[in-house]
Formats: sequence, C-alpha cells, structure tokens
Amino acid sequence: MINKPEKNFEDIALGYLDENIEFEPTATYDVDGDCVEFLARPDSFYAERIDDLVTVYYSQETDEIIGSLIKGVSKYCQKLKEKMPGFIIEIHEGSIMLEHLFLARMWESDMEEMRVIVYKQLQEAAERTNIRVPICKV
Amino acid sequence: MSDPLSQHYEYLDAINPIDGNKFTVKISCERMQIVARRGKGHVYEMAYVLPEVLIKPKAIFTGLRRDEDEPMKSNSFGSLCYVGRPSVAYMSNGQRVEPWPDQVYLVFVSDENAVYNWRWEKADSYDLDLPKEHDKRFKRRAL
Repeated sequence: MINKPEKNFEDIALGYLDENIEFEPTATYDVDGDCVEFLARPDSFYAERIDDLVTVYYSQETDEIIGSLIKGVSKYCQKLKEKMPGFIIEIHEGSIMLEHLFLARMWESDMEEMRVIVYKQLQEAAERTNIRVPICKV
Repeated sequence: MSDPLSQHYEYLDAINPIDGNKFTVKISCERMQIVARRGKGHVYEMAYVLPEVLIKPKAIFTGLRRDEDEPMKSNSFGSLCYVGRPSVAYMSNGQRVEPWPDQVYLVFVSDENAVYNWRWEKADSYDLDLPKEHDKRFKRRAL
C-alpha cells in the first residue's frame, strides 16, 4: 500500500524542470523496467516496436530516428554472453558502447532487410553520441 | 519513521483495472530527473499528459507478450499498459499543441506499481483508441 503525499503531481513534476540545463544525448538504465533508453535529440517523439528487443523513437517533427528503448537488457546481455562468448570483452566496468549492442543484435539475429536498415541507423546515431550504457549483472 | 526507499519515488493516481477505483502508482525520482534533462516539452508531457492517461485511460492491457523476462507475482496482473488519447501534446520547446493525429499515449506500470515508461505510439488503423498491433502485444484487456 502506497501512501500518496498531498502535493499535486503536476507541481512536483514541474519542479524538476531546470531551464539552465542543456540537452545532451543520453543512454540510461532503468531498473524498474530493466531497459536502456537512448535519446540523441530533445525532440518530442513517437515510438514503434521493431522486435522483441528494440523500440525505435522517431521525431514528431521530422520523422527521423532520434533514439530507442532496449528492453530486458540484463537478460539479453546474458544471452549474448552465452551465444557469443567474445562479447564479454566489450563490457568494461559494467558498461558497453551503445553501438556495440545494436551491432551484436544484427550479428546474432536473422533479420529482414528493412529491420537491418533501422538497426544501422540506430547504430550510426549511437556512434555519433559515443555513449556507454551501464548494463550491470552480466 | 518514514520508509527511506519511499523518498526515491513520487506518487500519483491511476485507475485500478480490478475495480475501476483510484489507486496510487509511483515514479522514481531518478527517472523524473532523466526526463527533466530532455527539456521543457518532455517535462510538460510528464506533468500533464501522463497523469491524464492514468486517470482517463481508453484501455488497460495486462501481460506484455514480448516481455518474457518481466518478474510477475502470482497474485498480480504483472505489468500494465495504460492507453489513452490525451487532450494535449507538447513540442520539445514546451509549446502546447493538439494531440498528435492517429496516435495514442501509452504508460507502462510494473507489478510493483512503478511507472517506468511512457510515450506516444501510432494508433490501430481500425480503432484509433488502441495502439497498433495491440492484439499481438498484450495477453488481455483489463479495461
């Protein structure tokens, strides 16, 4: 049973806004969802699932790929480790380059051409941001 | 004495799919800080769009078919997905606009009542209140 405080959620949420912060591309691990969320641009976005692992984020304004959500990351990395033991060398201090996750997915999965194109776009977007993903328990 | 863990979450109301009454869900402060760093439009979406969908959902789905890894307690629904057609949307600069056409808003809630993701998605072309491929993605519609 959760006891909700009296303060209005809208006010609480707006209190997190800091207009002095400049947007930076990020990839963050969310423990509640065991997912990694990658965002390369601050655009408002819509999402489209392309498979059981990745949901792609498209800009509402331009329809360009601007990020993604990678689900079940811990389990997926464990699977990669079993399937491709060499994968473990890409993990340093519990994190991995984001583009290597997309690359590994293309290697281990037999996917149709359209999906490969989307994965390549994601990989390129990740390369440009040079982001490492904290992944944890592998 | 307050639970120290409770200090890491903020709380808001949602409709309970079991009885249609309100219950309380939580969002981690860390998640809210991450969203805040994305800018004004994302914060406004979190402050106004997300609570609207949790209180006025068009549908609530249970059992995310592709989330085989999700931890599920025997006495719970597992994860929930709230689907709504909110009254507003926001550009990245915070400008309030009409809701995006032919899109619905999804809010995902874990079996620990933690809201862990939310976003716009394309609607089903046959039912604009539901997300594309809802029949393949969810095991059951609870509302």
